[in-house]
Amino acid sequence: MSPNPLDIAATADTAALADWTPEQQIAHMLELCEAQMESAMCESDLAVDSLIKAFSGLAESASSLNAMASKLTPEQRKAFEGVDLKKQMESIERQMSAAIIAFQFYDKLTQRLGHVRYSMSTLAMFVCDRSQAGQRDQWRRLYTTLKRLYRTEEEKQIFNMMVEGASADEARDHIHQSTQTIRIGAAGEIELF
Amino acid sequence: MSGNQVILAVDDSASMRQMVRYTLEGAGYEVVQATDGVEALDFAKTRGVDLVLTDINMPRMDGITLVKELRGLDNYKFTPMLVLTTESGPETKMRGKQAGATGWIVKPFNPEQLLATIARVL
Repeated sequence: MSPNPLDIAATADTAALADWTPEQQIAHMLELCEAQMESAMCESDLAVDSLIKAFSGLAESASSLNAMASKLTPEQRKAFEGVDLKKQMESIERQMSAAIIAFQFYDKLTQRLGHVRYSMSTLAMFVCDRSQAGQRDQWRRLYTTLKRLYRTEEEKQIFNMMVEGASADEARDHIHQSTQTIRIGAAGEIELF
Repeated sequence: MSGNQVILAVDDSASMRQMVRYTLEGAGYEVVQATDGVEALDFAKTRGVDLVLTDINMPRMDGITLVKELRGLDNYKFTPMLVLTTESGPETKMRGKQAGATGWIVKPFNPEQLLATIARVL
């Protein structure tokens, strides 16, 4: 005789309830957030790969056009009367440079989200271990471990602000100010030793 | 003068390698690529390069260890080695300097500035 499906469901519910703790629920939610981030990152990786391929194609075409333009005879140039080819090529080059800087922010984004995902999974494991989660010292150690993870200036600043007690609004203001810097296309510093 | 000079670009990010390659090849350099320090070191031992441009955080071998390992090889004692990274902390920079790096470039790089820096150290 096969078991009653209702009995199986009841047994599963009982087992689930026996395992139910607030810590496990927090860990599960963190894992869920991490999975959502991974899914979004995989999707955007594919899109950015396509964008980069398209960019490379455009760059090659621009380079070919540039080479062709430099070989035009004076008669052929007359056909482009009113069009400053050199100026047009310089404009394309400027836009390519801006695109190169912008693409690098995606790389930075991937790196930063990777750190957030790692923090989430570390926190998920940490909260499930009651011997650790109940001790202030262990929390301090966790913060120290996570701090080492954050390597860019932006990550470090946000981490320090939040750990030192800044409100979510203050952190948000800081983030918006940093975004202004990105909007003006600032590149990183260079130092020769 | 960039004619025939070979630059080894090391980064685990394919998009970063692509951006570096586009920038440097456009200026006439030959670009060879590696995805981490181990691959870069193997390559450098079999073929000479004129400059190394490396990220720091990579699987298997990081960029600072790579610079240190390369400086230990006779062929690379005086080769310019630039670190291209998102990190700008003074401690990490100091580790790079002590390992033998020639300079430090914080991502995102500006193509013109990167080319000017490379021309200066080559």
